[in-house]
Amino acid sequence: MNRVMNPVESARLPEIAPRAATVAGWKSILAIAGVVIKELYRRKDFYVLFVLTALITLIMGSVNIFNQENIVRYLKEICLFLIWAASLVISITTTARQIPAERENRTLFPLLAKPVARHQLLLGKFFGCWLASGVSLAWFYLFLGTVAGVKEHQWPVLNYCQALTLHWFMLGMVCALTLLGSIVFAAPSSNTTIMLVVTVGVLLMGRHLHKVALKLGEPSQTLLSAVYFAIPHLELFDARDLLIHNWGLIRWDIWAAGLGYGAVYSALFLMLACLLFRRQAIH
Amino acid sequence: MRFHLLCLTLLLAVAFALATALEPWFQSWAGSRTQTDNLVQVALGDSRRLFANHFFVKADAYFHSGYYPTIYDNKEGFDTAHMVEDTRTVGQEAAEEEENFLGKPKDWLDAFSRHFYPARHTHLGDSGCGHSCCLRAKAGQGHDPNCPHKDHDRAGAPGEEREILPWLRLSASLDPQRVETYVVASFWLRSKLNKINEAEQLLREGLQANPGDCEILLELGRVYFEDRRDAARARNVWELALKNWRQRQAHTTEPNLLVYATLLNNLALLEREQKNYSRAIEHFTALKEVSPNKEGIQNWIDYLKTNAPAAAAGDRREEFPRSSDRP
Repeated sequence: MNRVMNPVESARLPEIAPRAATVAGWKSILAIAGVVIKELYRRKDFYVLFVLTALITLIMGSVNIFNQENIVRYLKEICLFLIWAASLVISITTTARQIPAERENRTLFPLLAKPVARHQLLLGKFFGCWLASGVSLAWFYLFLGTVAGVKEHQWPVLNYCQALTLHWFMLGMVCALTLLGSIVFAAPSSNTTIMLVVTVGVLLMGRHLHKVALKLGEPSQTLLSAVYFAIPHLELFDARDLLIHNWGLIRWDIWAAGLGYGAVYSALFLMLACLLFRRQAIH
Repeated sequence: MRFHLLCLTLLLAVAFALATALEPWFQSWAGSRTQTDNLVQVALGDSRRLFANHFFVKADAYFHSGYYPTIYDNKEGFDTAHMVEDTRTVGQEAAEEEENFLGKPKDWLDAFSRHFYPARHTHLGDSGCGHSCCLRAKAGQGHDPNCPHKDHDRAGAPGEEREILPWLRLSASLDPQRVETYVVASFWLRSKLNKINEAEQLLREGLQANPGDCEILLELGRVYFEDRRDAARARNVWELALKNWRQRQAHTTEPNLLVYATLLNNLALLEREQKNYSRAIEHFTALKEVSPNKEGIQNWIDYLKTNAPAAAAGDRREEFPRSSDRP
């Protein structure tokens, strides 16, 4: 029989000293995050996608094109496309199943009774998924850098670091949004599908929405412009073309502002998720 | 049980009879994909032409190091692929047009996002990264000694054009009837990468797919004349191209006059170089009919008629345009 917990009770923090409460809270968050990271390397998703990416890249790299050596940009493009696809799949599917899996396995009740506050649980899940995505990204970029460096005889480490961190912060936004989705939508499958469609849609269309809006009449123009400014612009973090075509480094202040933009949106989605989760009855 | 077996046998017999009737028809049907042994053609059918066009455009995007308009941008300056334009301005400095399809930033997000993707117009193999100092250097003004980009002239190393080749190769594989792909790929192979054999091989592949095509023959003649210094073979190839052009295009409503004029010009220059002045005059005379620069060509004809015999006797070097110059 399902037992309905009082949401207000479980959301309340234990009455201890604020500093000790903060430390204890972060310990709980990190412990939950650790479990999520362990889940990533126990599951086969990452290994399958990594092997697939490596295999396709190496096969494409072995193609002889007019006996010309050092052709590498097409290889970087293919590899980066696979990395982006794989990272989105890993982060969305991993995040989407966190809360529903806890519900299904009935482990949500003991977790919240420990006591772990609801927002700590969500933060733990978020950091776990985000760090897990970061670990997988690091492996992917290491592979890409090695393959490109061997063929190109150039090692632009800082460029790779910039692209990696931007990509990682973009995944942070996606993880936070998916976590919010897992509270709003009933099934992980529907959440995964919607988040994939939204993410790919923003990546493909986000940059051009305002251009389209300016060609429309009122009130469509205002509406679409409002959507343009409101959505999280994931495409900002797509520095693939800079990496592929060996453009220079992004200015560090611009890079930091980009990361800040990502962090603000992630925090916004997490706050929304916490608010909704706090009011949600857990069956 | 017996009834079921009979039904099964009947169905098998009907299927077999239909197969014997349909198979010969299918093999001779024009739309059958089994007529080709090309796996891509079997899998994609005619849609491969769309993909071929996409990859050709992709090659041009690579030529611009990723700075390329999308369907939402103003594509006015990019109607013709710039890598194709370069093949038509051989030996000349291509006019640097500042096609800026992005325009001024429309909002702060647009301005901010331009730091994260290529937002400056450059061409592969050009000097510099697209910064204003590098563009000035490209225009011949050079870098300041203390400019942080002063090494970019060297960074725009020759041979970077190789990066467009995978997409051109793929485009040619997907649509072997697209002549432009062979010509463009051959131009970059021989002129910038010094891959003469590969260029010739590719053009021969193109000729197998498009027998007697004038543009491919024109480019093949250039390989012989400019790279292999084999005037006899170049003459044969260009004369065949000229013959094919006259047979196929002379009577069409929109003949490709650029190819015709280029062939005549190249042949005239070749004959002049080989001291066959009468043949050179013949080609210049034919060229005069289609060229907008009739006066200039007439001057050349007059020059050949008056000075050529003396030049031939004294083996004097004449001041004439190079083979790559346009009529």
